[in-house]
Amino acid sequence: MAQDSVKLEVFRYHPEGNGETLFDTFEVPYREDWVVLDALNHVKDEIDGSLTYRWSCRMGVCGSCGMMVNGVPLLTCSAFLRDFLPGPIRIEPLNGFPVERDLVVVLDDFMEKLTSVTPWMVHEEERTIEQGPYPQTPAQLAQYKQYSMCINCMLCYAACPVYSHEEEFLGPAVLALAQRYNLDSRDQGNDQRNPLVWADDGIWDCTFVGECSTVCPKHVDPSAAIQQAKVQSTTAWMKSFLLPFGKR
Amino acid sequence: MTNPLPRRHSNLWWMKRRPYFIFFLREWSSLFIAIYAVLLVVLTSKVLDGEASYQNYVSDVLESPVLIAFHAVALAFAVLHTVTWFGAVPKGLPLRRGEDLVPPALMIGSNYVVWAVVTAVVAAVFLLD
Repeated sequence: MAQDSVKLEVFRYHPEGNGETLFDTFEVPYREDWVVLDALNHVKDEIDGSLTYRWSCRMGVCGSCGMMVNGVPLLTCSAFLRDFLPGPIRIEPLNGFPVERDLVVVLDDFMEKLTSVTPWMVHEEERTIEQGPYPQTPAQLAQYKQYSMCINCMLCYAACPVYSHEEEFLGPAVLALAQRYNLDSRDQGNDQRNPLVWADDGIWDCTFVGECSTVCPKHVDPSAAIQQAKVQSTTAWMKSFLLPFGKR
Repeated sequence: MTNPLPRRHSNLWWMKRRPYFIFFLREWSSLFIAIYAVLLVVLTSKVLDGEASYQNYVSDVLESPVLIAFHAVALAFAVLHTVTWFGAVPKGLPLRRGEDLVPPALMIGSNYVVWAVVTAVVAAVFLLD
């Protein structure tokens, strides 16, 4: 007989309280085409309007609805209930972040780190409108395009045990974005980014667990970006010994 | 005024998911390989001390059940270490031909080919006496 309902175990935290956390169990209708976010919306609309969580586009683009689903960081708009049957399905806020309320995490640390690595185009000489756009070949675009697909959903941070334990670690998405601009042929901002990116709290905190890449819904592969940056950092360090007075 | 719940983490994180446990094993493999390297250095010094010293070291130390078991475990860890790091090659050193990425399977496979060739050469040198 087909299942007609599924249980959700939802993490709850009320900042007005005494700091206690608990799991509330909700029974929601099972629909084959429902995702976890649909089930949470049903809870909020029909059972408990105080349940708090983020969501927006509902189509895997905005990166707002990331949560831990049965211990794995997922976009809840892309996680079908049918893949977690018979349940119960345990839903928690993203690992490694402070929790604002229920399933909402505090983004401040991520946002500060994101802006710290100059994640925008830096030009030594700005072109005028008359000079036209900054040209780039398809092969040059291919060097960094993968790393430009990040939607800042932070699933990679929730999957990263280093970020959970090392508060200063810049983290996968930030380092991948820095590498995205470092690899862009139109950009000359490496010298601004690399003191942070090549530091102990940058790429060298990464122990290459690799789960950031596994959970990334956009196949950005942050662990590859970090390992490539390690190779570049090491090459630059060796050149500084081998070519102390020459061009590095 | 907000009152966020501090970051939560567990020291048993490596037991929570299989990929974490594999990573954990990969990191511990370094310890076994380091101990093996020390044993190899000692073995080399015994060879330099002469045949009797070498034979005594082999019979008294290396052929003890504990060290035979250790070498079996170290071999398993060395294979795990090798396989996981070969798998990492396309991530750390991606090669492109124009716009296209060289297929990761080709890059990983070429490492295994080199591994097999080097192993065959070493075996030929030491075993085909």
